[in-house]
Formats: sequence, structure tokens, C-alpha cells
Amino acid sequence: MKRFNKTFLTFLIALLPLMSWAQIDGEFIKPQGGKFLLQNATVHTITKGVLTNTSILIEDGKISQMGSNISASDAEVIDCSGLVIYPGMIDSGTTLGLVEVNSVPETVDYQEIGNVTPNMQALTAVNPNTEAIPVTRVSGVTTTLTVPQGGLFPGTAALINLVGYTPDQMYAGFKAVVMNFPNSARRGRWDRRSDDDIKKDNEKALKEANELWEKAKSYHELISKGAELDYYPEIAQLAKVVSGELPLMIEVNAASDIQNAINWVADKDAKVIFSGVKEGWRVADEIAKAKIPVITGPVQDLPSRQSDRYDAAYSNAGKMAKAGVKVALRTNDSENVRNLPFHAAFAAAYGMGKEEAWKAVTINPAEIFGLQDQLGSVETGKVANLIVATEDPFETRAQIMHVFINGYRIPLSNRHIRLYQEFLDRSPGLKSN
Amino acid sequence: MKKRHIFLALLLSLSLNFSWAQTPKGSVLIKNGTVLTVTNGTYENTDVLIQDGIIKKIGQNLSAPSGVTTIDATGKYVMPGIIDAHSHVALDVVNEATSPIVAEVRMKDVVNPFEIGIYRALAGGVTISHAMHGSANVVGGQNATLKHRWGMDDPADIIMQEAPRTIKFALGENPTRVHGRGNGQQPRSRMGVEAILRNGFNEALQYKKAWEDYNQAKSQKGSTAVAPVYNERLQTLADILDGKIIIHCHSYRADEIYMLINVARDFGIKKLVFQHTNEGFKVAPEIAEYTMGASVFADWWAYKFEVYYSTAFNAAILQKNGAITSINSDSAELIRHLYHEAAKTQRYGGMTDDEALAMITINPAKQLGIEDKVGSLEEGKQGDVVIFEGHPLSSYAIPQMTFVDGIKYFDIQEDADDQRQRISPTEAVEPILLSEENHRCMQDTEHLFETASALFQMNH
Amino acid sequence: MRKTLWKASLFGLFMMGLFSGTTVQAQSDPTGKKSITNTYAITNATVHSSPGTEGRKASILIKNGVILGVGDNLSIPAEAKVIAGDSLHIYAGFIDAASRAGITKPEDPERPSDFVYSNPPDEIAGITPWRSAVDQFDIESSQVSDLRKAGFTMAHVLPDGGMIPGKGALIVLGDKESTNILKTNTALAANLNGARGMYPGTTVGVMAKFRDVYQNTKLTKERMALFASNNGVTRPEINPTYTAMSEVVDRAIPVFFEVENDLEVRRALSLQKELGFQLVLFGLEEYETVIDVLKGSGVGVLLKLEIPDDKAIKNQKEDVSDAVKAQYQRVKEAYDKTIAQAGKLAAAGVPFAFSTIGAKPNDAMKALQAMIESGLTEKDALAALTTNAATIIGASRIAGTVENGKLANLVLSTGPIFDSESQIKHVIVDGKVFDYEIKAKKKNGNGENASVEVAGNWEYKSETPAGSSGGTITIQKNGNGYEGTITYDDPAGSGKATSSLSDIAISGSTLSFVFEVNAGGMSISVDVSGDVSGNTMDGSMNISQFGSFPISATRNPN
Repeated sequence: MKRFNKTFLTFLIALLPLMSWAQIDGEFIKPQGGKFLLQNATVHTITKGVLTNTSILIEDGKISQMGSNISASDAEVIDCSGLVIYPGMIDSGTTLGLVEVNSVPETVDYQEIGNVTPNMQALTAVNPNTEAIPVTRVSGVTTTLTVPQGGLFPGTAALINLVGYTPDQMYAGFKAVVMNFPNSARRGRWDRRSDDDIKKDNEKALKEANELWEKAKSYHELISKGAELDYYPEIAQLAKVVSGELPLMIEVNAASDIQNAINWVADKDAKVIFSGVKEGWRVADEIAKAKIPVITGPVQDLPSRQSDRYDAAYSNAGKMAKAGVKVALRTNDSENVRNLPFHAAFAAAYGMGKEEAWKAVTINPAEIFGLQDQLGSVETGKVANLIVATEDPFETRAQIMHVFINGYRIPLSNRHIRLYQEFLDRSPGLKSN
Repeated sequence: MKKRHIFLALLLSLSLNFSWAQTPKGSVLIKNGTVLTVTNGTYENTDVLIQDGIIKKIGQNLSAPSGVTTIDATGKYVMPGIIDAHSHVALDVVNEATSPIVAEVRMKDVVNPFEIGIYRALAGGVTISHAMHGSANVVGGQNATLKHRWGMDDPADIIMQEAPRTIKFALGENPTRVHGRGNGQQPRSRMGVEAILRNGFNEALQYKKAWEDYNQAKSQKGSTAVAPVYNERLQTLADILDGKIIIHCHSYRADEIYMLINVARDFGIKKLVFQHTNEGFKVAPEIAEYTMGASVFADWWAYKFEVYYSTAFNAAILQKNGAITSINSDSAELIRHLYHEAAKTQRYGGMTDDEALAMITINPAKQLGIEDKVGSLEEGKQGDVVIFEGHPLSSYAIPQMTFVDGIKYFDIQEDADDQRQRISPTEAVEPILLSEENHRCMQDTEHLFETASALFQMNH
Repeated sequence: MRKTLWKASLFGLFMMGLFSGTTVQAQSDPTGKKSITNTYAITNATVHSSPGTEGRKASILIKNGVILGVGDNLSIPAEAKVIAGDSLHIYAGFIDAASRAGITKPEDPERPSDFVYSNPPDEIAGITPWRSAVDQFDIESSQVSDLRKAGFTMAHVLPDGGMIPGKGALIVLGDKESTNILKTNTALAANLNGARGMYPGTTVGVMAKFRDVYQNTKLTKERMALFASNNGVTRPEINPTYTAMSEVVDRAIPVFFEVENDLEVRRALSLQKELGFQLVLFGLEEYETVIDVLKGSGVGVLLKLEIPDDKAIKNQKEDVSDAVKAQYQRVKEAYDKTIAQAGKLAAAGVPFAFSTIGAKPNDAMKALQAMIESGLTEKDALAALTTNAATIIGASRIAGTVENGKLANLVLSTGPIFDSESQIKHVIVDGKVFDYEIKAKKKNGNGENASVEVAGNWEYKSETPAGSSGGTITIQKNGNGYEGTITYDDPAGSGKATSSLSDIAISGSTLSFVFEVNAGGMSISVDVSGDVSGNTMDGSMNISQFGSFPISATRNPN
């Protein structure tokens, strides 16, 4: 029994860094704002190379200074020698915050009734206090695109930073109207539609999309001329896509659908992003030629066809990047968005390379979202979304030591960690006294 | 008299497979790798010689016997074949969901050796999987332990015939949803789940006694004893009570785990492994003391209510409390990177390399009762080996070759892309599946529900 | 043992049939339909008396359903009606060794108020070994006439139902005046299909339940034996399932197990090995990998008399990427392999026969020709249709060859039977002659040889057992060919559904096309063929697995 406890002790000590900023009994640590000096780290800027022995000053939520010799007497100094700093990771497609427990319908808020509901705002339904957010951010994912699901136009996605008590505090400055492009793949094993039926369904859906687009165009033209039209929130929202105010994020996956989607958007003057793009590797050159940026994932996924090489999903992002497509990654998850670094690692290993994979979770999404001056790299003036780790955070053995979001120092605690603390060495143990 | 004996012999042998062809065995010398034995440490620049399917020698400067192929593993890692203690790969049917107890059904009856999932698992270094009945029943069917011999036509050739019998149990939401909520039969609650178990075991005791009484009476001269009704369901439960079958129980909450430990103790059952066990960490000392441990997910949680209070540190807590702990997939995708799932225990709980690797090799082998044959690189064990580029616990690791019984079934360099063994002559274009069903724990239960659509979100 | 038993009972029935047949016909017939004689002589035909023997010129004398002579110098009695056989080839009548022609599945019994899905009554769970195919059989069904038209004179009909539907019966495909029964209680039908929403619901449950039923039948028999010879023994519980299963356990009758592919073959064989019953497998479609297993097992094998639809192969496009081409190639290979299996099975020495369950008799000859083209010898093909089938169902003594003393079951063809130009002109069943019209051979011109105009809007009516229905057929010229659509009552509910027509062909005055109906997720293919004369068409529509039904149409003059 004695030896047992001793083992635990050494074990706990080994994990001290993890828990140094974790919850202590009876005390709750909140995200902490202020001025921080991260001293003497190896900084992976993403856009400006790797800087050794570099310090970073965080002020007013921003990276205010970077260099080897920063003096800031009023800043809290955090010694980062021997540690690495990366920009916070961006997951470009999740339902994080929109769902608590997937099998309990009362807690599922990512889908509305109706086929044309672009006016549904994901940001409204984000629960800033979901258990999943603290679970996510300790992995180094600091920013997520939260995306509604459903019909042809299921709603409007929003980018959030994983800190804040209201959706507006979390909002990171990007929204897009989501479109589910008519899909010629099967929805599942139970989908027994004939090929002809699928084709017919698709033609019908595309016809509907075209009609809606024309309506939105007319709506926009009339409104621009000063017309006062009936309240029509669905079309009003689509009109913002027509006018270029909001981008259109098109979920499309099967190769032939991707080709059709490229044709469909060709004559439409909209800012278009493709998402999903599971079979993008089959038509990578065409996507590159159309200059449409892509959000793809999950990477850790099965091939879409039985005949595909087993690693088709792992290598998809890399193949598209090689063809010249601007690629961002997503987990398409809700409670396990924390696995984004591992999805990125798989993409890196299966052809994308580490550098490009890092871009796909940092600067590429920032550029796709038009936020390259705020997010996606460690540069002076950018939002202080930073992670400090013992080594490359894509590795599972890496420990994340500090996370900053919007300049807030994030407590490295969540329910998973609290349960660990409580139950590692349970008391009473097997026998009660 | 003689006829009766034949019948009894038949009863006894029911669960045995009568004949199977000799499965292929190979020889190979893997040179100069970093050999991760898992049980006996790690050796640099070391060779592994497999002959006729068995690891003959692990050491330096081994030379290949004539006719034995040599593979250069310089700079690569050599580890034992990965074992998945929870999968539904290669099964044509997953759930016989139609009764709270279906102990009589055998997954060996519906093994499908052509399923592409086998090859995909090999490409992730997995050589053995535990093909389980689903979780729709309190007592599900008997599982099959498979060796991934890709390309065999006969299901018997991918069944690990020397593995002991195992059976699926399930507690909590799934059986209470299918039977109680779905069809108005017990169990509707975790109370009912316990009652179903105790009823079943007590009936099995009576059944066993009825046959024993009958057989004894029969041995008397001039006996007119009448044979009891034959019931393979109760016979199987009796076999569990006799220690002939290992229980693998789908479970999530600590209370239900503790309940089954108590039931098992009351009936003298020692062969018990918990599956999923998301709240196992709360009763880790009990699991360690009374069972063969837990087989868990690395990080799955919150997909249903009974896994809301989970922690990714579960495996580490169980391991540190002395429970045999394995990491499983229960998923056609996760099975492809169990090495990566095991590596997550390093982030969530600081497991050592050997502890993490044990969770996908020797520990699941123990839970399947095959640790004397597989699960580590040791002389005399079966030649199930994976060669990795990069350390298998690195997120960038890529399996290069996978051997089962010394035969190479996966080679990243040489294999054709299209590995399908069965192609429909009547389908011009193969179907595209965007979300192929990764999770099949509740497959084949759809017909029991009026609102089948509600089911697709709660599969595990 | 099985064979002897069969032979004895068959003979008995056969003799009875003979006597009753004569008495029934010694009556006046105000309908005028009765034939004037039961004696026929087919003269100077090319007789193929058994598989593998050269056809030779001979005459055949038939009386009261029996072949009384085959040879050159037969003395032909005065009452014989002579059929000039000079240009005809004669073969033994084909035997469908597992058939559901004319079988209607009985309605499911109502569920009792205390129904429990985990323990349903046998009858509801599809365990009905006491049922007989005879009770489900209708000789007047169009499926029976289709089968006969394809040259089949005898069928081993199996009941339709759940996992154990019941017992089969051997029948001749004669006319409606007779029961046509040769033997009842021939075999137990079984399959691996689960019951819906109750135990056993899946293959794995069905296999467990089969073991349970089998073992408890065995125990019940023991108990009954004990009860019969001892006092003081509790009365054994007798139930219809165990009673009906008893002959299977005694190995007095075989189990005819329906299996589609190699895995199902192995599943049925594993049950057989475990339990020890007599086994015949039927319905095999995909079996290349178990040819050796089948050979080693010695069980009877009945292939499904069908080849895969070739639409997938024919629709392959030219302008596709290499990757798609490679996939096409694999589909083509799978297709070729499927068709070549029968030849391989025969070459391995497995004496198989055919089952038409799930197949279209109209396409039987096309399927056989394809198999022959892919390696099946004509001798083996004929054996499968005749002698092998007779052996497997235990009827070799009375059927399978053209020989003195055998049942007068014959196929009379305009040429060698497997020749694509040949057509069946007469089928003689049980001594009754059925005549078929010989048509000018279709030419597959896509409108090129069209001698009638078919474009336009047609209103059609069709008669099926479900009642009469109708709709519109629209056909337009498209390049050298035609395209079109058809409307019909939506099987999913009310209203009309529309399908496009494919394989539209005109040959002489015959218009034919195919369309697909989606019924409950299942795609059913319907073949329509009819003679066009001016603005009317008369013909038949063939619905896969259900039979053929009359259809007539009139064109709207526009």
C-alpha cells in the first residue's frame, strides 16, 4: 500500500506542469487578462520562420512586441525557456458550442427545420459555457468555425475564439452562409436510392438553388434601387452573398459534385469557399484552377469508396495542397475538436508535410476568412492567440503548458482534468477504512 | 444408450468448429530494426526471425535460413501486431437485437473474410481483432477473435481457432432503449438490467442441474428419466458460470460497472472484461481487484448522456490503479490508427512508451485470453509483426508492413490501391459513401424502432 | 436410403395417377376441350435420349402419359395422333429442382394480443415446417405456364415463408384437370432469412434457432419413444414444429437450403456438419470459391438459373479516365467470372442442377447459352436440366431421359436445343401436348429493321393478380433508336409513377422494351413485348419473379 502511494506521488510530480495552472480544491481559476511576457522561447511564427530565444509581450489582447530583449516591468513574466510557441490553432469546421450531448435532442442546436434557412445564425446558439470548450482549448485549438447543418442552405456559420462569456465576446470576425451542394454520394448504407433517383433528386435541388439565387439577385437589385420589399429573411440573407457582403461556404464532397459546383459558381460573382471536399484529390487540379479555397476534413476518416487506396482521406489535404489549392483543415467534430492537431499530423505524415499542415490550421484559414492581419501567425500586432508547449503540439506526447486566447491566459483545467485529479488516487480506495 | 451418448457428445461439442484448413504460415527475417518487444524492453539494431509462423529468435546478427526472405528494417521500428479488443469488422450481422439475452448466437457464423475493413486494419498495423456482437442486448452473442489473414476465402481461416470463447454483454442506455423504451419489455432501467442478468444466471443454474440430474438418472438401469428441453441460450450462460467463456461487457457508468462486478462475484464469475468503461476510472480499484480489466476509448465522450461525465485520463487512471487496460476502436476508422489512440495516453496521463504500447498489444491479448500466443515480441509467440516508419507513438508514424503468422499481408510500397475482393457484376459505378458507418455497435437494430432515424446518431 | 424411399413412394403415386387418369377421362365433355386421344406418335425426329448421346433419327410412341417406345421401327397404333417430327429435336423434359412457380406465400397470421417479440409463436416467426407447397400451389398460375413454355415439365415446388417455410412437393407441369402431384413431403425448405422485428431477426439468430429446433426435435422423439414403451413417464409435449421436423432428423427427407453465395453455402454446410441432416443447396449465384468445398461435401447443388444483368457492362462509357477504366475492367471481369462458374463447377465433377427461384424462365435459355459460351459443355447443361435434376430430387427412374417406360415429358425444339436460332415448338407433359407459336427470330435492330411505327402516346391496360391497371406509354424517335416513358400505379401508394423505357426494340411487328419499377426500395424489372398492328398492341409483360401477364395498348391518334 505504501509503495502504491509513492508511485502515485512521483506520477503526480511528473505531471505538475500540466496541473500548475489547473484547478485546486475550493478555488476556481478564471481566464486572466493582463500583460504577459513570455520569455525565451523558440517561436514558430508560421509566416516568418522559427525564432530562437525570443520573447513575446502580450498587451491588450494583442502581441505588442517580439524580440530577444523586451523589458516590461509591469508584465507577468512566464519563463518559456526550453519551450516552443505556436499560434493558436484554427479548426475551420465544427459544431462546437452548438451541441452538448449528441444523442440528447434537447441539447442539439446545429440544425433547424426547413430546407432554406440561411438566416439561422450559428453564433446565436453557441453556448459559451459548454463543457466542450475548456476540453478543446487546452489542446491548443483557440479558434473554431461553428457551422450549422441541415438542408440546402442550413444557416450562417461564425468564427469564434474559445474565450468569453457571450457569443459577441467570442466572435472572431468572420461569417459565411452555408450551402449543402446537391450530393450524388449515398447518405449511408441505408440509402437505397437508385442512381437515377439520386440524379433526379440532385437536378431538382440544383434547380431550386438556381431559382433561389435568381430571387436573391433580384432582391438585391431591387433593394439597391431603394425598393421597400416584404419581410423575407431567408432571401435577404442570401442577397448578402449575392452582394459579396458574406461569403458562400459550399459543402461538397463527391468528385463529380465538386466539378458541378465549380461550374455552378463560375458565373456567380460570390466569394466561394468549398468545405468537406472529401474526394478533392480526384479533381485537385480543377479546384486549383478555379482558385477556390478549401476546408477539408476530418483527415482521420475512411475512404469514400471501397476501391480507394486505404489512405485516401489521410492524403487528400496534401494532394490538394500540392496541386496549388489553399487548404484549411477541420475536424467536423463537436466534443473532440481537441483532436485537430492530430488530424493535422496525419495530413502532414501522409504527404502534406509539417510546414504546410501547420499553415492549414493557422494562416491558411485566417487568409480564407480574410483575417490574415489578425489571426494565424505569431506576429506583432496580431491577436494574442498563442500556445506554449514542451514540443511540437501535433505530437501526443507534447504537453501544452500555456494557452492564450485574445490575450487571456486560459486555465489549463476542464472536467476531464478535474475528474483525473479526483479519481487518480481515489479516497476511500478499494476498502472504506 | 449409445445414441444418447452420441447426442451428449454433440451437445458438448456444439461450439467447436469441426474442421478448418491449415492456415498459411510464413518465414521472414526482419533485420536491424528498433525492436519494441513491449514486455522485455526495446532493442536497437536487432533482428527478428520468424519461421513457419512463429518467432524463432530475436537478437543481433541473425542470418536467414535458406529460402527465408530478409527485410531491411534499418531506421524503422518493429513492434508486435496490434490487437483490437473491440471491433465489428468482418461481420455480416452485428446485432441479433430481438431478445434481452441471445447468448446462443455465434458471430463465428457470420464472419465475412472479404470485408475491406480487414485490409484497412492491416494497413494500420492491426493483426487481431475481436469481432463482437452488438450492444442491443444485456447478454449478446458469442464473439469471434479474428486473425487478419487477408485474402482467405473461408471464414474459418480468419478465425483465431485457438482463442478462448468470449461473449458480449451490454449495460445501460443501449439495451434499455432497444427493449424497454423501444418495445416495452424489460429492461427499461439499470435495475432491470441487473434483474435480467440474475434471472438468466439463476435459470442457467437450474438448467445445468436439470441436465445433471437427468444424466445421473439415466445411468441407472431401467431408468425412464425424461430429458429436459434443450436450450443453448441457458447452456451458454452455464458455460460462463463454469469459467469457459470470457465476458466482454459494454458499459459506461460506474454504477452499472459496479453492479456487474457484484453479480459476477455472487455467481463466482472471474472472467470478466469491461468494454468502453467510460466511467471505469471511478471504480478503478474494484475493476483492478475483481476483473480482467477494461478496454476503453482513448478520448471519446459526450456522444450520449451516459458518457458525458468521462475523462480522457480514464486509461491512465485505470492503469495506475492496477487494472489491465487496453485501448480499442469499435470503429472502422479508429481501428486504423490504434497506435495513435494509445499514444494519447501519453498526453492524458503521461504513460510510458511501454505502458502505452501494452494497451494495444499484450493487454488486449490478456483480455482475450491469448497472451501466451500473441501480444508481444517474444520467442515462441506467433509471428504477428508490424514495421513502422517513425516511432509508433509519434503522430507522424506510418505503418509500412504488417505480418500475420510470418506472412506479409500489407506492404505500403507494393500493394495495389484497389483491394476489393468482391466486385458486383451489375454495378457500373461503385457507391460513394461519405460517412461510411464507422460505428456498428447498434447495426441491425433498426427494425426494432418505429423511429429508426433517431438511432443513427447514437450508435456506440 | 433416401433414394429407395423416394423411389417407392414415387412409384405408388405414379401408378395411382395412371388409373385415376383413365377413369376421369371416360366422360362426355360439353366444353369440347377434351383431347380425342391420349396416344401420340412423333415420327422421324432427332431424338437426344440422354445428355452426351448423339441425337439420332427415331420415332417416339406415347400412351397415357408414358413413353411406350423409342426407335426406328415402332408399330404405330391406329389411335395414335401423329406429329411429324422430321425437323424437330426431342429432349427429355426439363426439371426445375427447386421452384416457386405457382406458389403464393400465405398471409402472415395475426399477432396475438400477448405477442412478445423475443419469444414469438413459431408460425409468426416463420417456422412452419408443417406447411406443404401443395397448399400454396396453383397450376393455373402464369408462372407455371412460363416455366412450361421454357421446356420445364416437372418442378420440385417449395413453399414460400420464413426461415423454415415447410415441405416441398414434386409435380408435373400438366394441365389443370389433374392435381399433377408426383409426391408430397419431398423435402424441408429452409433459408437464412430472419423474421422482421422479432426473434430470430438475423442470419445469426436463424442459425441458432435452427440448431434449437433440430436438437429439440431430436429430444422430443426420444421422449416419445420412452413414453410409448414405458409406464410412469410424463407425457411428452408434442407440437407441430417438432412433429414436422421429425423426418428431417431421421434423415428421411433432405433439407433444401436456400443460399446465394459462398458464405451462405458455408453457413448451411456448417449446420449440416454439426447436426447431420441430408442437404441440398439451392439458389447459388456466387460460388466460385467453394467449388472444392461443394465437391467434397457431396451435397446436392442447384444453381440459380440466371445470369447477372449486363446493363452495368453495356453502359460503360468510352471517354473516361484510366482509373475509371480499371474499375470498369474489374466489373467486366466479375461479370465474366460469374458466368464461367457453372462450367468450372461441372468440370470439377459436381453434378449440379438448376433452380428457377428468383429467375425468369423466359430468360433461361439465354442464361444457359451464356454459360455454355463461357465453358459449360452442352452435355453438362442438358444433364443439369434433366438427369442431374432427376437424381437430386430422386426421380431418375421416371424422368430425365427419353426412354421406354419413363414419363412422357418431352421438349420438342426446332433445332438443337442450345442453338440460339432454335425455338421450342411443343412441350409434352405427362403425355399432354402443349403447342407454342414459332416466331420469326427477333433481330436486335434499334429501329433499323422497323417495319411498324411505334412512336406516339399509347394508353395501355394490363391484367395482374392484383387487378387490372393501366397508364400511358410515350415513345419518341431518337436518332436511330427510340426513347420513352411509361406511367403506372405507384406501388408505394396512390397516384402514378413514371419510369423511362430502356432496350426499346422492334423486330418485325414486335415491339419490346424494359422498365424498372421501384417498389419499397427494391427495383423490379418489367419486360414488355407485344405485336403492333396499326394503332393497337397486344402482348405480355414479364415481371421478374412474378410471372407474365397480358397487356394491351392503343395509340392515341394525333
